[in-house]
Amino acid sequence: MGIQDLRPAYLRGASVYLRAMVEADKERGAAWLDETFPVNASRAEKTLKEEHTDQWRRGERRLAIARCEDDEVVGSVRLISRDRVRTCALTFWMAPWRDDADALRGEALGLLVHWLRDETEVMVVTAELPADQPRTIAAAEAAGMVRNATLREWFGRPDGRVDCLIYQALNPRWVVRDA
Amino acid sequence: MRNPVLAGERVYLRPMEAEDAEAFARMDAGETDTFMYRHRVPSSPLEHAHFIGEAYTQQPPGSISLAVCLREDDRLIGSVGIYDLDWLHRTGETGSFLAPDARGQAYGTEAKHLLLEYCFDRLHLHVIRSHVAETNTRSAAALGKQGYRSAGRVKWDEVKNGRYIDGLIFDLTRPEWLAARDAWRAGVSVASSSPAPSPPPARPA
Repeated sequence: MGIQDLRPAYLRGASVYLRAMVEADKERGAAWLDETFPVNASRAEKTLKEEHTDQWRRGERRLAIARCEDDEVVGSVRLISRDRVRTCALTFWMAPWRDDADALRGEALGLLVHWLRDETEVMVVTAELPADQPRTIAAAEAAGMVRNATLREWFGRPDGRVDCLIYQALNPRWVVRDA
Repeated sequence: MRNPVLAGERVYLRPMEAEDAEAFARMDAGETDTFMYRHRVPSSPLEHAHFIGEAYTQQPPGSISLAVCLREDDRLIGSVGIYDLDWLHRTGETGSFLAPDARGQAYGTEAKHLLLEYCFDRLHLHVIRSHVAETNTRSAAALGKQGYRSAGRVKWDEVKNGRYIDGLIFDLTRPEWLAARDAWRAGVSVASSSPAPSPPPARPA
């Protein structure tokens, strides 16, 4: 089975697609593993195996973000689900060396919101986005997400700090009294 | 005091120990309020023992939990903590829990002041957040007194009484903490719209 066989037709955009993680991803840990400090292949493999133990029970899943044209992994997204209240929080990590990370993340976010809200019947999709990522924010708003909270000065940058914008997409097909 | 990390006038914070597990389970069993969470849940000393056993194994830690104890008799009355620590961005989320019979005596306020001191003065965090259910008006008011500011609300965050309720988000930056701490020490209100907060606990010599 090639990596192309793992491309889900329903999570594919013009530039990127999202797929399940595979063991070979351990060789590119810096591109997708949201660790504070650098990790080698052994450490990335350990993380992969830990994350795929009891995954259904844990309600947490990581998907690789890969480029359509060459299957290069350019990031990952963690989906943290709370099934009892039907919500899902998204956390992105993009390869730090890519200049186009903002645009690629934005495309991935749009794919995820439509899938989670419109197919999996999630009530609320939440993403916490740095305020200095305009392409991702534009994609969030294009997908129907609304900014509901702002954490001030949340992310450190070389030249200062930026806010964290909490965006949410509510499922309009569900009728929620008093919400 | 037993192994204190920070001490105030009436309470102190210390690392949790294995023998605290039964006390935490008893606190959960004796919970009187239902508005803080979705519902009350009986907890086992086994799960608390497991949590405590794992709590101090990672360095640097992803979260820090501390027991809240009374200075007068070392009685364990609750816990405070800082969670989801991000050591690069210098952020985290605070939380606290006080045993039902220890509420309403300002122990929680003092413990929270100690936790904030730990976050900003020892860990040198830049900003922290806190999250409460909209039904938990007591904790929301307490956060306001401690200097936190409203950051917004996350929709449909929990289920309560047959409907979805929102979560209230608060944040507190380091400069605001320094100002709030100075105001507390001077005995004046942090915000004119808020009730005057309690004076800070006296620092032990």
